Amino acid sequence: MKLSKFFASLTSLLLGLGLAAQARAQTHYTTQPRGNIVKIEGTSSAHDWEMKGNIIGGFIELGPDVKFDPAASALPGLKGGKVPVKAHAFIPVRTMHSEADHLPEVMDHLMQETMKADQFTRIEFTLTDMTFKSPHAIGTPFAFDATGELSIAGTTNKVTFPITIEPVESDKIKVSGTVPLKMTSFGVTPPAPSFGLGLMRCGDDVKIIFEWILVERK
Amino acid sequence: MNKNDNLPEVNRRSFLKNTSLATVMAMMGGVELRAEEAAKPAASSEPALTPIPPPPPVHFGVIGLGTWGREVLNRLALLPNAPVVAICDNYPSSLRRVGTADAPKAERFDDYRKLLASKAVEAVVIATPTPDHREIVLAALQAGKHVYCEVPLAGTIEDAKAIARAARDAFKVVFQAGLQERSHPQRHFLLPFLRSGAIGQNVMARAQWHKKDSWLRTSSNPEHEKALNWRLHQATSTGLMGEIGIHQIDAVTWFLKGRPTAITGFGSNILWKDGRDVADTVQGVFEYPEGVRLVYDATLCNSFDSAYEMYYGSDAAVMVRDAKAWIFKEADAPLLGWEVYARKDLFYTETGIALVANATKQTAIGTSATAGNTTPFDSLYYALLAFAANAGQIGGAIKDYLDSYGDSDLKAMTDSLKTLKVEPAANWQEGLDATILAIKANEAVVKRQKVAVDKDLFEL
Repeated sequence: MKLSKFFASLTSLLLGLGLAAQARAQTHYTTQPRGNIVKIEGTSSAHDWEMKGNIIGGFIELGPDVKFDPAASALPGLKGGKVPVKAHAFIPVRTMHSEADHLPEVMDHLMQETMKADQFTRIEFTLTDMTFKSPHAIGTPFAFDATGELSIAGTTNKVTFPITIEPVESDKIKVSGTVPLKMTSFGVTPPAPSFGLGLMRCGDDVKIIFEWILVERK
Repeated sequence: MNKNDNLPEVNRRSFLKNTSLATVMAMMGGVELRAEEAAKPAASSEPALTPIPPPPPVHFGVIGLGTWGREVLNRLALLPNAPVVAICDNYPSSLRRVGTADAPKAERFDDYRKLLASKAVEAVVIATPTPDHREIVLAALQAGKHVYCEVPLAGTIEDAKAIARAARDAFKVVFQAGLQERSHPQRHFLLPFLRSGAIGQNVMARAQWHKKDSWLRTSSNPEHEKALNWRLHQATSTGLMGEIGIHQIDAVTWFLKGRPTAITGFGSNILWKDGRDVADTVQGVFEYPEGVRLVYDATLCNSFDSAYEMYYGSDAAVMVRDAKAWIFKEADAPLLGWEVYARKDLFYTETGIALVANATKQTAIGTSATAGNTTPFDSLYYALLAFAANAGQIGGAIKDYLDSYGDSDLKAMTDSLKTLKVEPAANWQEGLDATILAIKANEAVVKRQKVAVDKDLFEL
């Protein structure tokens, strides 16, 4: 009895140590406040429009052997072309602002109202799959197809879009990408505001463009 | 974050943003409209413009329900996004005196600590006697509330600095000093005009506040009456210079863009000999850089000509009165151009050219010197409007930042806030500067002598 307890404890200890070692080996990148850019671009019957922000929250956790070496011609640590990775990102809706010359506040209000920002305060994305695109040219950003659950205005859809990752300084990475989507697929009716001079109809297609800088947590 | 130097456009635009069409239309007709009424469905004849909703509401608590506290409640009731959810006064009849019209859904407290403990309260206006500000402001900031503190911030430089320091360090909330003139659209219209050299070289300034009023408050409770009359005694009051003059002295200092280096004061108790030791009539000479001086006087003994400021330049003089202003040009002054079409008002033998936004539009400003204008509310309204908007916007932006990044890089947070279009409002530094000037001016009055205003006084 005592011996079996000893082995059980030893097994637990070894398992725990093994898991701890594995956990330590993960590379955890966390968001940081400088250099992030988010843009939402759209069209309308009057002119194209754009909303800008600089806040992206979240993290990326990569498998132990995944290293972004700009001098390498391949990406190590993959499993059948897939990147072992967990990631979550969010953008607070009210941090997106228009920089239009004329009445930018109206655009801000329209966007927040259209996206039901009082109920759904964030655009959220949870990564479920990331596939490496090869061949990779030395000195260029690493390219991937990212798939995950994107939540906007209370509706969640599965989306796939291309992204790139490149090392920045010694301990940072920059993740860049463009997410094309239709407002209506997220239950959002394209707004058609009246400014007194006529009706402006926004197009259904929009793009979320981002550059996200993360720092390695050691 | 204060962008007072380039605000006329932003302010006017943002003001419209924060105000429904119905409100604006009512304002143009001079009809007082309360938030609850503004929320009613618009009439069918209203133009079918896309409505711009007011910013999300910021829930207010008001501490101190004397005469001024009730004025604050009245203005908050006019705002579309500033519901008052709590009011507080430690004197029961003051609490009872607040009717349901101005704070219909407010919870009532007899202790400010209980009000600050309420999670429903996001922002507080502190309108208590000046000596009580320090304790309440520090507790409110500690409780994570946005704070609007009436001026002077304090009766002593030590207390004023303690408040300023706490406001500076409370990076998660908005602090606004109650220098309401700094939020008035007309002032922001005038600021670039006065600083542009349109009046020539600055020569001098003059300002006055005249009102026949004893300042005496009465109560059936002798102890409460003593507390009510805190303004009448030097131990608790900064006198006319501090309690009244601070707004005009600050306005002149703001427009002249420089602090005075010395103040000479005079004070007498001429009419109200009721045991008070605060002068009922004061004069002060404020010495600004380059030989420019402000001559200021205030009295509780005569109401002639009320309150105004005059700015004298080598080409013209400007009078600022209520929400209006006029320029009086010298015969040899260069032609500005627009004044040909502007409204003219006769002041005895002088002709004043109306200086208001849209000055060439007669219909907007009326046809006489006392007619309505394009900024029909008083400065307290605009100051509270700015506070509510900034508390909502900046408070929200700070929360978004901290939720995303934490508080490890506050410099980055400050940088990101610079992109926000904030409403014009006095910050802690401006509140501290004005308070110190008021305290030194009162010191000069009490001592009846010249006192130096050392620049080190303004450092924290």
